[in-house]
Amino acid sequence: MRSAVDVEHLTERLRAVGYLADRGLATALASAVALERPLLLEGEAGVGKTDAARALSRVYEAELIRLQCYEGLDLYAAAYDWNYARQLLAIRAAEASSAAVPDLYGDEFLIRRPLLAALGATRKHGAVLLIDEIDRADDEFEAYLLEFLADHAMTIPERGRIAAHYPPITILTSNRTRDLHDALKRRCFYHWIDHPSIGREIEILRLHLPQLSGDLAAQVAAAVAMLRSRELRKPPGIAEALDWAETLIALGRPRLDREAVADSLGAVVKYPEDMEIARAITDKLVS
Amino acid sequence: MHQMEQHDAATLATLLDRALAYYNVDAGTTRALAFAELLAQALPKTGPELYWCARIAMLPSIGDLTRFHAAFLDFWGALPQGDILAALVPNVPRDDVIRNLQRASPRMRAPAPDERRAGDAEARDAALFVAMASPEERLVDRDFAEMDERELALARRAVARLASIAETRRSRLRRTAVRGDRLDLRATLRNAARTAGELLRRRNSERRERLRPLVFLCDVSGSMVPYARPLLQYARYSALQRSRVRAFAFATRLTEIGPTLMRAGPTRAMGALGRELRDYGGGTRIGAALHAFNARYAQRGAARGGTVVILSDGWEREDPELVAREMARLQKLCRRIVWVNPQKKHPAFEPLARGMAAALPYVDALVAGHNLRSLEAIAGAVEAGGRGAVSGHRAKGSRPMETFERKPRR
Repeated sequence: MRSAVDVEHLTERLRAVGYLADRGLATALASAVALERPLLLEGEAGVGKTDAARALSRVYEAELIRLQCYEGLDLYAAAYDWNYARQLLAIRAAEASSAAVPDLYGDEFLIRRPLLAALGATRKHGAVLLIDEIDRADDEFEAYLLEFLADHAMTIPERGRIAAHYPPITILTSNRTRDLHDALKRRCFYHWIDHPSIGREIEILRLHLPQLSGDLAAQVAAAVAMLRSRELRKPPGIAEALDWAETLIALGRPRLDREAVADSLGAVVKYPEDMEIARAITDKLVS
Repeated sequence: MHQMEQHDAATLATLLDRALAYYNVDAGTTRALAFAELLAQALPKTGPELYWCARIAMLPSIGDLTRFHAAFLDFWGALPQGDILAALVPNVPRDDVIRNLQRASPRMRAPAPDERRAGDAEARDAALFVAMASPEERLVDRDFAEMDERELALARRAVARLASIAETRRSRLRRTAVRGDRLDLRATLRNAARTAGELLRRRNSERRERLRPLVFLCDVSGSMVPYARPLLQYARYSALQRSRVRAFAFATRLTEIGPTLMRAGPTRAMGALGRELRDYGGGTRIGAALHAFNARYAQRGAARGGTVVILSDGWEREDPELVAREMARLQKLCRRIVWVNPQKKHPAFEPLARGMAAALPYVDALVAGHNLRSLEAIAGAVEAGGRGAVSGHRAKGSRPMETFERKPRR
């Protein structure tokens, strides 16, 4: 019997679209897809949580529907809203022409926000729903998501229940600024994305920047790993490592030496306090 | 691992759930069912495959990882395939995990036999407290350090009543209101349906009130032991009453204690804390604890726009410079810092403890917190600067009498 959760296959396909997933992440993604269960991804900023969803949408050639959470996000911005202006005009128009008032809750007045849009996939794996930085939304919104995530359905009072024919692949990300409610977490698979190992980071750098030499990639990866091991305010993520490598290429530096570090440190370290720490260990960074 | 029947998978998942519970990881039935389903679908053949399936489905949070590993090893090690499976926890030397764990959380003991009767006892205590307290208010001004076990238990009821901090600010979420500041088209139109589509009454919306985050940092080092219990209980009841509360304990290291603190039953919660806090009664490293809190939580916004209540006597064993530095940083990451210091009970209190002296310039209010009456002042001190103030600005309001004015800010 062939396993329904084919981790190797997904890893290959992710690699083909430029995303290197380690075994844990690939298992998590494959399980979430196969079991139609949402996946909660946590990890430091810049380890590729959002990119995982993006890559998955490319693998399945699915539409990526992104819901960026923020404080004050409510149902009407996340799920659906009615086009009130059009409703009003329709009433007035009907009055003027003494025609029957149209159904004010028909499709033409419904504004589909990300959650509702994600229910409208027309084929299997047709949509990837990315609920980004869920920890920024209010707790009330989390409660609303419970039903949505469990049933892949929502209820619009004027219309009744709308269920997905093909459930979207759902990825939630969180930066852990607050604890999510356990009721929400229970409904999801969970994976913590760590900073990549040096070897993997080199692979990632070279995959994204083909013009990067192997030596420089190795130097950058090692230096970034060194920075991460110090207690920085903001340890550099993969995004910063890529920025740094790109900056070095743009500056025409073939290798990471003291001067190159001094010129390009701003690409990878973003706080003055961290700069001080990084400058103090420049020798170690370039060795 | 051979092919796995659904039934076996469910049994296995339930057993793993129990093993996790044994190690204080609260996975629960929903996750166990998900794991069973995943096992049946994924059919893990190798150790790592199995490990990742279990971890994805059963690990509630990254903070539980060490205990998860220990439970996992413990559990699978007992199975016939144990040898193969023992090697699969990545990068964690097995012996270390287990040794750490045995130190961290000794095997959970069977629940106390008289758990059932605890409720009755509580009711009695409450009555007793009212009887004792109302005529002479003996406990109200009594120092926690001088109370015996029975009095402490009685005081707990009062602590529960005192712990209500509800500092709010206006949220961006709106709700329909008669006197709002903005037209609510949705409500207006819906209302118009009653009057045959005629827009007769305008509906407005207003911004809702939102609780500000509240963070407790409880010092549980040796010098704080006489006060730690009532203050932890204060944090517990605050956390139980409202949302957006997080609690941490520190002596030599910082531990998030919120979930444990909020367990059902005050006695159980305190018992679980005692097992969890390895450094309880140890030396104090305030600076290091503040640093850990800033780097791991505050930097990400755990206290943004809210209040941090530090419960400590300010005896720093190490570097007061570090305390000052981290307090300065914390001040920028939250709205208000309230320091509760039991030593302030002495009328001639001077912030002489090195950590306290270093921290004082960054403290918005200093309250005593050595008896029930002074606990009352905490809520006042937290809310003093708050209500109605524009978000992000510290209001210069009057502070309650019990508080200690901090030096003016540059």
